[in-house]
Formats: sequence, structure tokens, C-alpha cells
Amino acid sequence: MSAIQVNEPKPRMIVPHSVRGGAISLVGLVIGAGIWEIVGRHTQAASFAPFSQTVSALWLMTRSGELPTALESSLELFGAGLGFAMLFGFFGGLFLARIRLLRIGLEPYILMLYATPMFALIPFILSLFGFEFRAKVIVVTLFGVWPILINTLEGARSVSNDLLEVAKSYRSTEPKLWRHVIIPYTLPYTMTGVRQAIARSLIGMLASEYLLAATGLGNLILTYTNRFDTARVLAAVLVITLLATILMAIGRAIENYFARWKAGV
Amino acid sequence: MASVPHEVAIPRTYGVSARTQRTFLRIATGVILLVLWEVLVRWLAPPFVARPVTVARALPHVLANHLPPGTPTFWGAAEATVVASAEGLAIGIVGGVLVGLTMGRLRTADRLLRFYISTFFAMPIIALVPVMTLWFGYSSTVRLYIVALGAFLPICLNVYDGTRSLPASFVEVAQSYRARWWNVWFGIALPASLPYLLAGFKLAVGRVLVGAVVAEYIVNLKGLGSYIVFDSRTFHQPEMMVAVLFLALLGVSVNAAADLATRRFLPWYRRSE
Repeated sequence: MSAIQVNEPKPRMIVPHSVRGGAISLVGLVIGAGIWEIVGRHTQAASFAPFSQTVSALWLMTRSGELPTALESSLELFGAGLGFAMLFGFFGGLFLARIRLLRIGLEPYILMLYATPMFALIPFILSLFGFEFRAKVIVVTLFGVWPILINTLEGARSVSNDLLEVAKSYRSTEPKLWRHVIIPYTLPYTMTGVRQAIARSLIGMLASEYLLAATGLGNLILTYTNRFDTARVLAAVLVITLLATILMAIGRAIENYFARWKAGV
Repeated sequence: MASVPHEVAIPRTYGVSARTQRTFLRIATGVILLVLWEVLVRWLAPPFVARPVTVARALPHVLANHLPPGTPTFWGAAEATVVASAEGLAIGIVGGVLVGLTMGRLRTADRLLRFYISTFFAMPIIALVPVMTLWFGYSSTVRLYIVALGAFLPICLNVYDGTRSLPASFVEVAQSYRARWWNVWFGIALPASLPYLLAGFKLAVGRVLVGAVVAEYIVNLKGLGSYIVFDSRTFHQPEMMVAVLFLALLGVSVNAAADLATRRFLPWYRRSE
């Protein structure tokens, strides 16, 4: 039925498609918030808070400066960890692509670390580096570095030979070859890895805040859970959700930006 | 000459096959890594930190459950984690396939749900563990919810993508043969999105293991998460490392099994990247 309509779209509605789609999505949001509100009002205050109370808790926590401080501390951790992950992932990937012996030797171990739930290594990191900022940055980096490294490696190895031959026939020097051919070719792959790393680093950020020194948003969640202050816990979870959504959108935008020159071979 | 990494280097084989050479190289690298770990920890870290030698020494009695009384046993913990993860995966697969198919085939369902699915997918699910202890108490229900959510979201999104990328001509042909909607959903859309389902499954396994371990730690449930934390707090790091290695092995082997299944059962699928 619907397939026939694809071929001959009937002008059923004057409203443009995007507007109608947006309206339905909006209805979905309103229904969700409504369910949250109703469920919240009919459960005990110690276990669930309605939407309205969560929003007012969010406002109170923002005004008291508690939330901005926590957010700043979490973002600092996230940024430092992701920064190191990008640095090590990108240069490590290029390095491994270049040195065949190392690549073949290390590949299975890298894939193994990629598949390990990094959370399990936190106690080990705790005993080596303590539980302060440095250790937490290492945890976040360990969560995020692998997809960047693996994608960069894959990208740098798949540079088409035509490009390399052209560059060489114009007598391109080694540094120029890297700067003008290999790195631009690899960047879109790296950015796919960065998008994946953003999600993983967020998990790492929370995990390290739970298990190492409690700071930031993870600390807010733990503290208010212990006080049965559900409205504030949900407010903190809401902030994390918003943060994750925004960061993912940024990640996707960066990926799409770099994908423009990804060769469609 | 050897400037470019992509050049096909002519391997000097010395009469050994390339495969043997590669295996040898990998084992040698592994040995070097172990030696590095041993030397660095011995040199720089306090004595209780796990080293390969102490881990190897701990391995037999951990695997044989010969542990001091009062400590959690390794196999009991491993069983609890694996069973809970498998349950969560099963729930996640069934739910994810149903919701993903619905969203892929029905525009309205897509518009109503996509925001929620993609938002929950983006957020770290472990943010919900503490709140869930308020909802469900300090019970294994929390772990089940976390694990099921962790499996559901990537599988649902992947099945949705798979259903959306179904060529319209397939559906048209089916409909011209008077296929009913369930024929299209379960006879065409579902098989066509199987490779996506497997890709989602691989993502899901990673999330499920992390979710299970974090939930076990925070809720203090019997499982590898609490086993690891208990051992690390009582300075039994070598025993802890056995569990870490087990988790790594589990992740790797499930991933390898998924890859194998893709090649074996879905040979028609070529990733166009």
C-alpha cells in the first residue's frame, strides 16, 4: 500500500511533511513529559519525582552554583581524557600504520583491550596512579582511545595507491606526502572514531567519578541518591542526558564535516 | 622507498609460511608486553600490584575456587554476571527487534519514539544505576534493567537502520504478490536487517558487560563487578586480574563469534565502507 504512494504521492495534506513530522515528534515529547509527571505524582517522593519538581530542582541547583561547578568539573575531566585519547589514538594509529611489524604484533592485543570492559581495570589504575584527577583522566582516555586508534589505523592503511603514486611522481617529499595526502585521507576515519569515543568517554567519566574520587555530576548523583532526594538525582541525570545528546550531535557534525572529502571509491 | 606504509613489502619468509610468521610475531609481542608489565610494576609500583608472575601463580587456586573463606568465589561471580548478561541480551534482542522494525516500517512510531531511543542511546546508561536502586531496591532487578536497556538500545537503532535501508523495490514486488504486512515485516525487513542486528549485537555486548559490572559494584550484587572491587580492596590484585582477563576473553570471544556468524550465515552481506 505505502509503496504505491511512494510512486504517486497524493497531495493529502497542505501541511509540509517536515512540519507534520515535527508536530508528531513534539506530541511524543509532551506525552513523555506527561507520563513522567503523572507517574511522579502517584509514587512515593523517595523513589520518583514528577517532571515539574525535577525542573524546579534543576533551577535551584543551577542558581546555587552547585550544578555549574559539577558540570565544569565533569567537563574538565571529559575534555582532558578525550583530548589525550584523540592525541594518542591519532598518532598511535598513524604510527602503527607505518610500522608493519608493530602493527601485526600489536593488533590482537589492541582488539582485546577494545573489547574489555574498561571499568574492570579501574582498581588496577587506582593502585598505580591514585584516585585524583590524573588517574581519572587516564580512565577516560582508556575508555575513548581505542575506537580512534583503530579507525585511524584502518584509514591510514586504506589510502589509495593512485594518490600515493601521483604524489610520488611529482616528487613529493615524505613530510609533504603525510601532510597533503595521508593525514587528510585519514581524518574522516579518525572522526568516525572520535564520535564513538565521545560516547565511551562519557561512560568512562561517570565510571571514574563513581569509583575514584567522587566529583562532578557522578558525585551529585551518588550524594542525592543517598539522601533520597529523587528530584535532584533526576535533575543531574537530565543534565547528563542533555550533555550526551549535545556532545553526540557535535560529534556527528564533525564527522559529517570531514566526511565531505572522504573518497567515494 | 619504504616511506609509505601501504607499499606491499616483499616478505622474507625463509621458507616459513606468512601465517606462521605472523603468529610467531604476535606471540613474541605478547611475551614482550608481559615482560614489560612485569618489569615496570616490579620497578615502580607497590608490591601488592598485580604482575604477570603473581597472576599466573593465583590462577590455579582462583579457577579451582580455593579461596580463603568469606571471599566471593570466582566461578560463582562469573556465572552470576554471565547469566544476567545473557538474560539482558535476550530481552534486549527481542524488544529491540520488535521496536526497531515498528519504527522502521511506521512513520508515526518513528517520529514518536526516535527522540527517546536516540537520547537514551547517547546517554551513559550507568547514570541510571543509582536512581534505580531507589526504584527497585538493592536487588538484582537493577542489574537486569541496566543490562536489558544496554542491549535494547543499540539493537533497536541498528534494526531500525537496517529496515530503513531496505530497497523499496523488494517491498513493491512482495506487495504485488499480495504480501500482508507481517510478511513484509518478518519475511523481508527482518532478514534484510540481520547484518545490522549482528552489528548492534556486538555493540550491545560491550555495553551489557560494562553495565552489569557497574551495577554489581554499586548495588553490591554477587558477580564479577563486586568480585573485582572486593579483591582490589583486600589487596588481592592477582586474583582480581583473573576476573579482568576473563571479562576481556569473554568480550573478545563473543565479538569473534558474531563476526564468524556474519561470514558463515550472511555471506551475501558486504559492508560498503
